Amino acid sequence: MSDGSPAKPASCPTEPTAPKNWEVKPEAVPTGAQGPVPPVVQFKNVSKEFRRGKDTFLALENVTFVVENLPDCGEFVCLLGPSGCGKSTLLRLIAGLEPHFPPSSGEVLVSGKSVVGPGADRAMVFQDYTSYPNRTVIKNVEFGLEIQGKPRAERRDIAMSWIDKVGLRGHENKYPHELSGGMKQRVAIARTLAVRPSIVLMDEPFGALDPETRYSMQELLIQLWKEMQSTVFFVTHSITEAAYLGDRVYLMNGPPGRLVEEIKLPRPEESPLEVESRADFREVVALLKSKIHSPKRTDN
Amino acid sequence: MKTALRKGLSRPVAIGLQVGSVAAILLLWFAVTAGSPEERFLSPLTLPSPGEVLAQIKSLWFDAALTRSIGWSMTRILLGFGLAAVVGIPLGILAGCLRSVEAWLRPITIFLRNIPIAALIPLTLVWFGLGESQKVFFIFIACVGFVVFDTTAAVLEVDERYVQTAWTLGAKPQHVVWKVLIPLALPAIFNSLRLLFGLAFGYIVLAELIDAKFGLGYIIQIAQRRGPREHIYLVLFVITIIAFAIDRFLFWLQKKLFPYMFAEE
Repeated sequence: MSDGSPAKPASCPTEPTAPKNWEVKPEAVPTGAQGPVPPVVQFKNVSKEFRRGKDTFLALENVTFVVENLPDCGEFVCLLGPSGCGKSTLLRLIAGLEPHFPPSSGEVLVSGKSVVGPGADRAMVFQDYTSYPNRTVIKNVEFGLEIQGKPRAERRDIAMSWIDKVGLRGHENKYPHELSGGMKQRVAIARTLAVRPSIVLMDEPFGALDPETRYSMQELLIQLWKEMQSTVFFVTHSITEAAYLGDRVYLMNGPPGRLVEEIKLPRPEESPLEVESRADFREVVALLKSKIHSPKRTDN
Repeated sequence: MKTALRKGLSRPVAIGLQVGSVAAILLLWFAVTAGSPEERFLSPLTLPSPGEVLAQIKSLWFDAALTRSIGWSMTRILLGFGLAAVVGIPLGILAGCLRSVEAWLRPITIFLRNIPIAALIPLTLVWFGLGESQKVFFIFIACVGFVVFDTTAAVLEVDERYVQTAWTLGAKPQHVVWKVLIPLALPAIFNSLRLLFGLAFGYIVLAELIDAKFGLGYIIQIAQRRGPREHIYLVLFVITIIAFAIDRFLFWLQKKLFPYMFAEE
């Protein structure tokens, strides 16, 4: 663990130079800008249709975007939108998880390669508690390392260091049923990050937590992410959560799920609780809110 | 509104009611078998009095060789049921993991779970003749379909989110089977085996009623033909007590093996 000031290269745009200068810069959704390094994630006209008998449900319609590979740092991308707008579908398409994967049409590329199925390079934290009930905290965190075939001692060391980082030291031999909801999600985060994924997928991981716990988890997540250099895709329907966490917010709307707008945000230095009292942060939240509830949306 | 619907009871009240029900049945038993043999409501040939039944404990123990019979019955159950578990659990796990195997096994398990148990007696006599193997295979055939079916269900009931978590952590199919599906299905498999074992205990008496040299069912059959009839009642009590004790032991073991299944959330 670093001493509080994680070293980030100057080229990294996620670190705002003047954090007070809050400025919302809406950007058009880029379409296939291909640099010398393949983008971390690229969607090319991706649609997903579910069929059940005669009914069809269009979960995602023609989604196109690129998340570029920035040198030495990953971006924090928030997928924001109301329920049923296809956020989770989009996330699970990156993960390669059925039944959302494969897409009905279009192409999902990760590091320039077409996704063929799930893998540890795109580890995921779910909203539901997924700690294995038969495993202690440390055994849960070791799960992915066990699969990689790492020797026992090495597994333990790696797992313990992550248990430390998520603040669960002293709880490593407890079973999930002895933990609170927030602690279970800490286990899930530690277990996910222990496999060193280049992309971390998070599907409303704090959705079931109380506000107090949620704030501390958001702070913890940002702190861990700054050390990791992974790209994070974070699904949420909380506007303040997206505004606090995201370098970039993908606004979604639906059904059918569409990517409406991509918004770049500066990264606040404050804690999630402190930042809410800042006027410019509240402006960002208000702006996001107005965009989500724009009259273009057709409710039926 | 105050209602007793589904409300829990305090321990003393629950125990009191349980003792009460036993006492009521004993009282009824005493009442219909009271007095000298000629004056009774029920003749001693139909129902002996509690005292007469208790008096036969000694002859059951020594003359009918109770402990040896328990040993024989238990051996047959353990062999037959053990075989059913050894064959049924792997098949059930396979069926729970691969739907094609499940589809293939389904008609077989439907058949095995629905055949009338009593009809298996003549059938196993035809197949295995008289002797021990007939009794062991009777228990095996009676149980194996249930073991396969329950094991399959236990594997299928493991929540998909645990499997998907494993996929995103880089698991291969063999990891999902060995590290997720089997360990998470095990508590349900164990629980179903415990309940089925109780069933097997009931079946063995049936098998032993026909051509057995020892066993609890054999004692019942001899007592019915040659007496003393009191042995039938005593053996029924013995079976109940043993079955209950084994069930409690297995339940205790279950709690030791899977403590996380019994935690209060």
